[in-house]
Amino acid sequence: MERVGGSAEESGDVAETEGSGAGASGTEGDIPGNWILQHHKYRELMALDVGDTAQVYAAFLVYLDLLEERRWQEVTSRGSAELQLVYLEGRESESQPRQLIVPLPGQRSLSHQGVRSLLSQPGSDGAPSPSLLLAAVAPDSTLAYYRFSRGFVVPEPPDSIQALECGRERRKRRRL
Amino acid sequence: MELEKETDGKLDAERQTEAIMEREVKNQTEEESVEKDPESDTRTEEVKRERKTEPVRVCVSGSTPLLWRSADLRLVRERMGIVGTLVGSLARQPRQNCRLGRPLQLQLEEARLLKDTGRAVLVKGAESECDDDKMNVEVEENYTKHLQHSYEEQGRLALEEKKRVLERVMTERLRDEALTDQPIRERLSSLKSSFSFPRSAMMVQLCTARARLGYAPDERDWLVTDWPLPRDNKQEVRYRVYQDLRQQGYYITSAGKFGGDYLIYPGDPLRFHAHFIAVCVPIKSESPISDFLCLARLGANVKKTILLCSPSETESEGVIYTSIQWSGMV
Repeated sequence: MERVGGSAEESGDVAETEGSGAGASGTEGDIPGNWILQHHKYRELMALDVGDTAQVYAAFLVYLDLLEERRWQEVTSRGSAELQLVYLEGRESESQPRQLIVPLPGQRSLSHQGVRSLLSQPGSDGAPSPSLLLAAVAPDSTLAYYRFSRGFVVPEPPDSIQALECGRERRKRRRL
Repeated sequence: MELEKETDGKLDAERQTEAIMEREVKNQTEEESVEKDPESDTRTEEVKRERKTEPVRVCVSGSTPLLWRSADLRLVRERMGIVGTLVGSLARQPRQNCRLGRPLQLQLEEARLLKDTGRAVLVKGAESECDDDKMNVEVEENYTKHLQHSYEEQGRLALEEKKRVLERVMTERLRDEALTDQPIRERLSSLKSSFSFPRSAMMVQLCTARARLGYAPDERDWLVTDWPLPRDNKQEVRYRVYQDLRQQGYYITSAGKFGGDYLIYPGDPLRFHAHFIAVCVPIKSESPISDFLCLARLGANVKKTILLCSPSETESEGVIYTSIQWSGMV
């Protein structure tokens, strides 16, 4: 997985000097060193005017990961004024339903109530979704995704039972 | 402000307890309506009445609630879904800890539920039966009678066995025509008068199982304590979650091995794998996101869902549950 360069602190520093023009001239041809700041999507997320720089940066990294790396479809961004953060919505593939993705910097703290308020955010169809993907962005830009759902979600059965079921299916197929 | 919150919490706990008791009564009445054995009707009714009124005896040693009697263990498991942990060593298999025996150690929440629903009574050291001299004499007499009865029974059985052996030898001799069975016949006829069963040959059962702590009375008095009182908010949170899960019918054991508070089973732990690892947190307390990451990864490794449980501050919502799963996106 490609690591998008720079840390949250670095981008914060660079943001202050944004006004001074194109910034460092590219070590990689004509791509400027602060290309993130000039990316149209990043500017769009900043323009939503919710969340702090760290959270917006995290959202941008997750956006790039979903689109470029995992090739998700229809990834859109929304801002929530009450929660003061930017979140994303997208679908894994054509057949999958739309999901809510909440990017957060890894150093943040979260309470159970906070998780529930995230879950109560309305999706594109207006109703709150039963689950969301939390994308935790570490300072080195590593992303970790995990799923929060309302209520009790029964896990998959253990390997021994799965093997048993597989065996049954195979035997059935052989008989037929 | 804090006092108010405490009392509110207690009221909630009381209501939960009432709900659990109602469910139990409902279960009992359902059972009664199903059993319609005409022959032993009165007997089963009596037994049921006994079961209904007889509370289990909990002995609290230090801060550890214990159940000693096997009937009590069975009752709490079958009727109330309280599983506990066996912590006693077995007399015949002492140097292992795969299979342990009584007593059953209860979690603080389990003991508290038993106490709140009125299904348990505390056993204090001073009330133990054998301190009473009159009872002692009676118990001794009963034991001697029992030994005598056992001796007579064993003597009779030994006599029959000997007779059988002699008869078998006789029939063998008859087949072998060269020998005569005359001496055997004589022995057989005089068997009853000549047979003696020495007392030293008698088998005696020595009970190695314990019915309570095996200490001397004064040490026991020092060890045995009263019901453990809830000490802090964390215990209150755990108890509220325990009550709610029990009311929903889940079986709950301790999750020390998995770094959570409880392991949640859809039925008896002997029949099912655990589905959830419950982590009880107050609803507003914040933890770093890396903690959620730890829990999610742990759950994925052991094929269980992590359940975040928090008692809600509004009465109507009860306990709020959120499942955390590893997303599997690599």
